[in-house]
Amino acid sequence: MDYVFTILILIGLFVILASSFDLVIGHCGLISIAHPIFYAIGAYISAMLSKQYGLPVPVSILCGGVGALLASALVAVPALRVSGDYLLIASIGFQLGLIELAKHFHEIGGAGGLTNIPSFLIKDFGRESYVVLVLVLAALTVLFIRWLTQGPYGRMMTAMRDDELAFSMLGRNAIWVKVAVFAIGSGIAGIAGGLYAHYFRFLEPDQFGLLQSSAVLTMVVVGGMRTTMGPVIGAIVLQLMPQVITFFNLPPSILGPLQGLLFTGLVLFFMFVRPQGLLPAADLWVGRKQQGDAGQSAKEARS
Amino acid sequence: MSATLEIRGMCKSFGGIVVADSIDLDLMAGRVLGLIGPNGAGKTSLFNLVCGVVKPDAGSVSLDGRSLEALPTYERARMGLARTWQNLRLFPSLSVMDNLMLGPRAYSADSLMDVFFRPSQIRAHEAEARDRALDILERTGLSPIAHSRVQDISFGQQKLVGVARALMNEARCLLLDEPMAGVEGQTYALIQKAVRDIAASGVAICVVEHNVAFIRDLCDEGVFMFAGKVLARGSVEQLINDPHLTELYFGT
Ligand SMILES: Nc1ncnc2c1ncn2[C@@H]1O[C@H](COP(=O)(O)OP(=O)(O)OP(=O)(O)O)[C@@H](O)[C@H]1O
Ligand SMILES: [Mg+2]
Repeated sequence: MDYVFTILILIGLFVILASSFDLVIGHCGLISIAHPIFYAIGAYISAMLSKQYGLPVPVSILCGGVGALLASALVAVPALRVSGDYLLIASIGFQLGLIELAKHFHEIGGAGGLTNIPSFLIKDFGRESYVVLVLVLAALTVLFIRWLTQGPYGRMMTAMRDDELAFSMLGRNAIWVKVAVFAIGSGIAGIAGGLYAHYFRFLEPDQFGLLQSSAVLTMVVVGGMRTTMGPVIGAIVLQLMPQVITFFNLPPSILGPLQGLLFTGLVLFFMFVRPQGLLPAADLWVGRKQQGDAGQSAKEARS
Repeated sequence: MSATLEIRGMCKSFGGIVVADSIDLDLMAGRVLGLIGPNGAGKTSLFNLVCGVVKPDAGSVSLDGRSLEALPTYERARMGLARTWQNLRLFPSLSVMDNLMLGPRAYSADSLMDVFFRPSQIRAHEAEARDRALDILERTGLSPIAHSRVQDISFGQQKLVGVARALMNEARCLLLDEPMAGVEGQTYALIQKAVRDIAASGVAICVVEHNVAFIRDLCDEGVFMFAGKVLARGSVEQLINDPHLTELYFGT
């Protein structure tokens, strides 16, 4: 049973990661693949605050989210003032640099990893309660991102992606929109990081490198960018696939390469055959219905 | 009467090409100024300089007496500067209506605090903008295609959407870059009427146009630009009939 719980929790966490990453790269069009470093920042901050300073776990998880949010703004503000493309380089540099730094920083476990992170299991409820918690938070994240992208803020992101210059000429502040969305997406990743840390109770810097970047990117691409359910489906498929193969009882010498082959094959397949992903995004932005729309249709009916 | 938009000593060159050579120009409230000149004269570049899209080598711009120099493009727009683009620049992923919805100087979701904590204010803002957009769509004859994608409407209608989107700003100064190129028939008359109405409401307008008939019908005055210089200012009739300018214009 523990095995199933662990997989469900990983699915939930990757739904949060993939959805928040889609907000940044899909909806806002910000090219950055450093998403896992904000997951790491949330995880480490939350782990350290609860382990060293005895903060209650929920509080430290929230602090981890805020820390990730602030760290991402720190990267995005100077990078985006230069140009949108610069964010890619700056954020990867930040990701790899920070991982290197963490390896040499013994207070947080160094390269060997941070152990004995306080667990967040409610005594009488056991692991089930944590599974429920993570899945509920994953659902809330998906709903929140849908709400944000289908409202007036989503209209802004869409227009900015289409034509940034025309967008600015209407009086909209493109840099601020980018920094804000980048920070929101990263903050959400930070919270997921905290949830990870207090379940697995072990963190190691190398977990959060380019391999994980490409995993999250693959989830979004395979599922379908700029759709509500795309990142969810991508996260589930890519989380389950390696598990399914393990059932075949193959020797490790075959299993490892087979998993790698499947991943790479999947990415190549989608790049060439179905670049829009499993769920293609609509090419016309349609906001959610608002109360004002009733008045609008009345007015249109009159005219 | 002081000018709505004041351009003083504007200079800009790209490599060796001089696109603005100490240009001084005033746009007056309620008047339509035609900006005439051959291809490459620097007309679009002048708009870009005024909007802060291109940084000048020297010179200044002010709107209603307030200097725009230090302001980025979006803040200039928020002060009441609006323009259209020679190459349209509509948002293809948005409907005609949503293209307009982004146009008000103050947009409903400019503040994230409002997005998260004041939903009623956002709704009020959106409703207000929607009413204004419906009104403008009505006046420009675009109501029937309000919910179409911009790729699905005619080129003339796309031009009109560009003008309509700029009108959402309720600007003090409006710059139109070749609103008539490629436009004919009914749309021609609609754009003409729209520009007249805006001018009548006290907006300072500058129109770049190669269509001489349009300029003559619409503009109170014209300036002739050549190689980054303003060579002449006067009535459109006067400029068109000047043999020297005609020669420069047609490059003979
Ligand atoms: N960003 C830029 N970088 C380099 N050269 C530029 C740039 N923008 C404009 N130019 C050059 O400046 C000159 C003036 O261009 P501009 O677009 O202002 O002319 P125009 O008067 O609007 O002409 P048209 O009637 O063809 O629209 C052209 O030679 C153009 O190639
Ligand atoms: Mg031009």
